[in-house]
Amino acid sequence: MIHISNIFLAMILLSVLLSLRSNRLMALVKLMAFQGIVVSAVPMVLDTAHGLTFNLIMFFILLVLVKGILIPGMMSVAVNKVVASREIEPIIGYHASLFAGLIMIVFSVYITNQLNLASLAASHKLLLVTGITTMGAGLILLMARRKAITQVIGYLMMENGIYLIGTALAKEVHTQYVVEFAVLLDLLVAVLVMGIVLNDINHTFDDVDTALLGQLKD
Amino acid sequence: MLQFVFYIPLIVGIAVLFLPAKIGRVALFSTAVIHAMFTALEWFKLSGPLHTSYFSNTPEGMLVLAILSFLFLFISLYTVFYMGEVEMSKEPVFNGSMLLFLSAMSMVAIADHIIMLWVAVEATTLMSAPLIFVHRSKASLEATWKYVLICSVGIALALLGCFFVIFSMEMSNIHVPISFSSLNTVASQLDPVWLKAGFIFFVIGFGTKMGLAPMHTWLPDAHSEAPSPASALLSGALLNCAFLAVYRCHQLMFTAGLGDYSSKVLIAFGLASMLVSAVFILNQTDYKRMLAYSSIENMGIIAVGIGIGGLAAFGAMLHMIHHSLVKSSLFLSAGNILLGYGTKTIDKTGSMLRLLPKTGLTFFAGFAGISGFPPFGLFVSELLIILGAIKAGRYVAIGIFIFSLILIFAGASKLVMQMVFSEKENDDILVPEKWTRALPPILLLLTSLALVIWLPDSIYQTIQNAISSIGGTVNG
Repeated sequence: MIHISNIFLAMILLSVLLSLRSNRLMALVKLMAFQGIVVSAVPMVLDTAHGLTFNLIMFFILLVLVKGILIPGMMSVAVNKVVASREIEPIIGYHASLFAGLIMIVFSVYITNQLNLASLAASHKLLLVTGITTMGAGLILLMARRKAITQVIGYLMMENGIYLIGTALAKEVHTQYVVEFAVLLDLLVAVLVMGIVLNDINHTFDDVDTALLGQLKD
Repeated sequence: MLQFVFYIPLIVGIAVLFLPAKIGRVALFSTAVIHAMFTALEWFKLSGPLHTSYFSNTPEGMLVLAILSFLFLFISLYTVFYMGEVEMSKEPVFNGSMLLFLSAMSMVAIADHIIMLWVAVEATTLMSAPLIFVHRSKASLEATWKYVLICSVGIALALLGCFFVIFSMEMSNIHVPISFSSLNTVASQLDPVWLKAGFIFFVIGFGTKMGLAPMHTWLPDAHSEAPSPASALLSGALLNCAFLAVYRCHQLMFTAGLGDYSSKVLIAFGLASMLVSAVFILNQTDYKRMLAYSSIENMGIIAVGIGIGGLAAFGAMLHMIHHSLVKSSLFLSAGNILLGYGTKTIDKTGSMLRLLPKTGLTFFAGFAGISGFPPFGLFVSELLIILGAIKAGRYVAIGIFIFSLILIFAGASKLVMQMVFSEKENDDILVPEKWTRALPPILLLLTSLALVIWLPDSIYQTIQNAISSIGGTVNG
């Protein structure tokens, strides 16, 4: 039997791999909006014992508003201001990044199997695999690209991964909302500040290439 | 009542953002005084926290809060006069952010709930980013971007660490509030594997904020680009707050019987930080960056001291107090130097004793203090750490420790000698020094001296209480 949550997880993995391959900034932002919405929906489709509670739906709406609409909207405004809408000369090439993403999947399956997690349901284990992959791929994106916008997108992807890991591990109701609350706050704070700085980088340099930020070093 | 230490700066800080700059300066200093009063109330246990599940006044937290409050008093005094002499287009933003930053750091010091602690550390990043960015130059933009990006990634990893610690509780089917005080009571039943994983992410995450190598790369940039009062606060107070978060988790590990493991991790990160700063300090051309690398070194010393435990843990806590006092004094002196010479390049300074005699004196005395010369407290604390390490038989670790100290002294002394004693070609001074700006660094240095001669009993007792849970004691 294919559980509906597995389809969602497959979509997340697909968006992760696509974002590692993509070089257009706008396409990346759209991918992040899609990934954000799917990730927010995951707790709703997991086989929870309590079914759909009011709180669950409220958090879903809140997360979709932030991850699916607010942040991608802000990012696309930033992308539209930038002259060069493509990533040029990434530090790690697209094929290499894609390959690293695939290795990341294998690696997270290995980690999850190594962990002593007999108490977790099978669907939660797959969720953990997806979470670790998403987090790792986010880190790869963060390190492998030169544009500030792509780095923020890498950070967002990492945050999505942490949210998935948190959801997979949180069994109890009281800790589950801790996960949602914390991730939401993290996103809002970090991305808002990054958004402001991003705007200023664009304003000062007419581009968002972080290679331009190379004055301070030892 | 305990929560007032962050409510008051929060409310005043928001108000200052919208008020004229002159009122903001007055508000900055008066809030510092009020904050110090509330901290004193807490220190002498005259009032307790309101909601005990989120906040508590632990001895280590009170120590950090007291240092923060004391420093902020002098730094705000300095800021009031500093602002009178520099052009800053967005002064209300600077003053307001200073207060909001104080609020966030006070919250770190008293947080007991894991997620509350994490939220507070996150808030410090948010509140201090405008302080670094305030000059709006290309270099400050770069520093802010690195600071926000690297620290956000670090904080995100720390969140993962929080989840792991919480999960270690759920794995063993225990249900207590997720605060450090209640976790400590059930520590022995927590799942050790997940607790270890949580600790690693805690150290990596909060260690980024604390400036432990190899996650320290944001620190020299941020400290050198921020205006000097903000650098003093970043170095003297923020790093302590991040250390407090790591220390809380280390205590939990100790109570859970995993102290050996967490000690090894702390010693390794501490020694790495010392070596890295020793290498990078040798060829510095910018004196604020030099001070920033010295902060990395001192945070490494504290991590090593806590990791070794016993007498060294006492030394580490003492080191934290004296480092904050001396380093913030040095950064304030650096602010005076920057105002006087108008440059951060070491080569363009010189003849300081003739051109800026008071600043030259505080800078050189501060340097003597930070290198661990006898009249200052860092001598005592470093000696205690070395003695503690020899008692514990950690000969290799202490060998590397002493080696790095020598390298750093050799590297930094050459630069400081050049700044203070070498002849400058022309005698141009942009802003002549004044007593008002020279006094706060002098007072901070004198406090460090006074604490060596006479350590008040309540501070002594608080340090003892703070380190008793990791097996630290003055009697070795």
